[in-house]
Amino acid sequence: MKKLVLIRRFSQILFLSLFIYILWLTTNTAVFFKIDPLVSIFSLSALTMLVLTFIVGRFFCGWICPLGAIIDICGVKAKNRDLGFRQIKYYILGFIVISTFFGMQIAWIFDPLVITARFISLNFIPSVVFMLDKFFISIIKGMNFYTPLYDFYRFTKSSILGIKIYYFPHSFITLGFFLIILGLLVIAKRFWCRILCPLGAIYALIAKFSILRRHVDKCMHCMKCSVGCRMSAIKEDTSYRKEECILCMDCIYGCPDRATKFIWPVKKIKANEENGISRRDFLFLITASFLLLGFKSRTGGAKKRLIRPPGVTSEREFLNKCIRCGNCMRVCPTNGLQPVIFESGLAGIWIPHLVPEIGYCEYNCNLCCKVCPTGAIPKLNLVQKKEHKLGLADIDKNICIPWSQNKECIVCEEHCPVPTKAIKTYDEFFAGKKIKKPYVDTSLCVGCGICQNKCPTRPERAIKVSP
Amino acid sequence: MRKESIFERLPKIKISRKGFVKLCGIGAGSLVLNSTLFKFVFGQEESSAGRVTKRIKGMHDLIVAKGEDPYIMAVKAVETMGGMGKFVKKNSTVLIKPNIGWDSSPEQAANTNPYVVGALVDMCFEAGAKRVNIFDITCNNAKLCYKNSGIEKIAKEKGANVYFVDDWNFVKAKFNYDSPMQNWPIYRDALECDTFINVPILKHHSLVGLTISMKNLMGVCGGNRGLMHSDIGIKLAHLTDFIKPDLTVIDAYRVLTRNGPSGGNLEDVSMKKTLIIGTDPILCDSYAAKLMEKDPLSVSYISQAVKLNLGNADIMNADILTITV
Repeated sequence: MKKLVLIRRFSQILFLSLFIYILWLTTNTAVFFKIDPLVSIFSLSALTMLVLTFIVGRFFCGWICPLGAIIDICGVKAKNRDLGFRQIKYYILGFIVISTFFGMQIAWIFDPLVITARFISLNFIPSVVFMLDKFFISIIKGMNFYTPLYDFYRFTKSSILGIKIYYFPHSFITLGFFLIILGLLVIAKRFWCRILCPLGAIYALIAKFSILRRHVDKCMHCMKCSVGCRMSAIKEDTSYRKEECILCMDCIYGCPDRATKFIWPVKKIKANEENGISRRDFLFLITASFLLLGFKSRTGGAKKRLIRPPGVTSEREFLNKCIRCGNCMRVCPTNGLQPVIFESGLAGIWIPHLVPEIGYCEYNCNLCCKVCPTGAIPKLNLVQKKEHKLGLADIDKNICIPWSQNKECIVCEEHCPVPTKAIKTYDEFFAGKKIKKPYVDTSLCVGCGICQNKCPTRPERAIKVSP
Repeated sequence: MRKESIFERLPKIKISRKGFVKLCGIGAGSLVLNSTLFKFVFGQEESSAGRVTKRIKGMHDLIVAKGEDPYIMAVKAVETMGGMGKFVKKNSTVLIKPNIGWDSSPEQAANTNPYVVGALVDMCFEAGAKRVNIFDITCNNAKLCYKNSGIEKIAKEKGANVYFVDDWNFVKAKFNYDSPMQNWPIYRDALECDTFINVPILKHHSLVGLTISMKNLMGVCGGNRGLMHSDIGIKLAHLTDFIKPDLTVIDAYRVLTRNGPSGGNLEDVSMKKTLIIGTDPILCDSYAAKLMEKDPLSVSYISQAVKLNLGNADIMNADILTITV
């Protein structure tokens, strides 16, 4: 009976499913990011996590972390190897902390919760929905089976699948990043958690002094626990690196003598001095971090070249606050919010922007404002959101059908959501026919991009929104 | 012995020339098979020659109901027309096509009054309909439109199927005459129904002047709909001929008089408290245009439809009954 291991596995799967479920509904995603000390250090729940870590150790990594769960599931067959290099994660953490002090947020690159959220929102959910949708279509259309399966299909679409299949042209980079993390399993089990994860580093720094500790009694030195440890935390002499232990409980049940136990010690035991970060390392870290700041001066004050989600006024503040979790892109009802790659510099990678040709900003909607876990997109109510200008539309008279061909069109005017119409027309007579020619009233235009989205000209749209 | 894991086996795999050729062959073969399967399932392009109707006539050409309650107005008007049983046969499928094009509330008068739709659903089921379908291809986000128009809630309560449109379920329109609408994608359910009830709302439209029943039929078309706007008159006339709606119910309870078709300002809405019912869409549209103090023939699609002899725009000589509820 591996009771504790079973409970641990159950907990991992539970939290992973919960994570996917929350992201699927995108109602209360902030819950998960609140417990993440790397994202929100001052929140109460993050502090609670740190206190709990001080009591029991790195339980988060072994029992809760959704990325840890995925890594464990994919790495069942991976090898155990002690590679060393454990300090790297402290360096990464140091980089993040130092650059945060200098006003450049890079936690989102390496935070495991954000990585998983991004992968699930931008890759996993769209592809699952796509596959289910195509599966249904192939049965319904291929077999001419229009009712009642069709009704069921419509029901699933309007409830869980969503009426739009999301598509993110740039999401292959998120997928690639995630696959690299899983690919590292070829080298060793939980490679990411041992060597790279900065969140693990925070917990490790605290877990070093944790109260709960592993205790070995009357050991026969079979080394089974040391070989089997997924973090390679157990040393040759059966003592262990406390900060590396993620409490997976494997060593308890692998032990032939049942010698391993986790106990609450009465007297305090001195933490072993190893594998931490030395003074020399720290100096190196500081120096190296300054190199990274070189990117900041060039990209931090980048000019606003892309259409940002509603409510964003300061580009710099947006770059710093956004953790690139992908929630806003997941909820955007028109699929218009897309991740950028390098359009706004290195500091702006994966940040959302509006691509009107894929989807416009729905006038009567503020979902992205509602779901943003860090407040990078301000919490605007509907009235404020309707007044916020995202950009300005501009008509290219060489392409526009009424201007260049003297034919009737004004689809842009028809769709303009501003009650008094930001696109006006004036009449011109051509060959005895009245042609309405559109122009943009710049004081009224909110830059939602519906005109660009609906403009019938192809391949280039005659009306374009620019920030 | 312990089985080697994939991570251990992967670097050890050796591949011969023959094996490589074989692997490529299998890959190419499965690709071909996949694409044929894909084509078989998704590549079918069905076409349709339009709806066939029995051209049912009501007791009068046109019923104009005036009153305070849109639900009762619709019920009374249909009763005066001869009852819903005239149009809906037992165990038949009915399509009610309201205007749900915009994400706005009923008060903003951009979408059909939900109570008119509710009344029609009730009457269809009373007449013995098996299924009542309701959909619209919206301009704004469909989910928001359905919700905020109030139509989804009321129609679902009354037992109708309110659903979103699937982008793969279109058929191509085939006209037996030369038409700019040739091969235009039309939603399948609009053609595969026994009774087509068109329930537009009367409102202002900047391009054609007014959005009435014929313009509302654009809501069953897919494709790049913006292109329909050039020569819209002839296109809508042909589309009406293709769909041939059996019954037209024009909701003119609240009328958007400016900044249409999306509207938004409550000052632009005027209360006309009228409902127009008829079997000839062109006659209905002409009366509605007259209601808005416009010459029917100045609306391009009405004049084109009259030119093609699809219906009658002569409201002076038509049998029009006005009832007050």
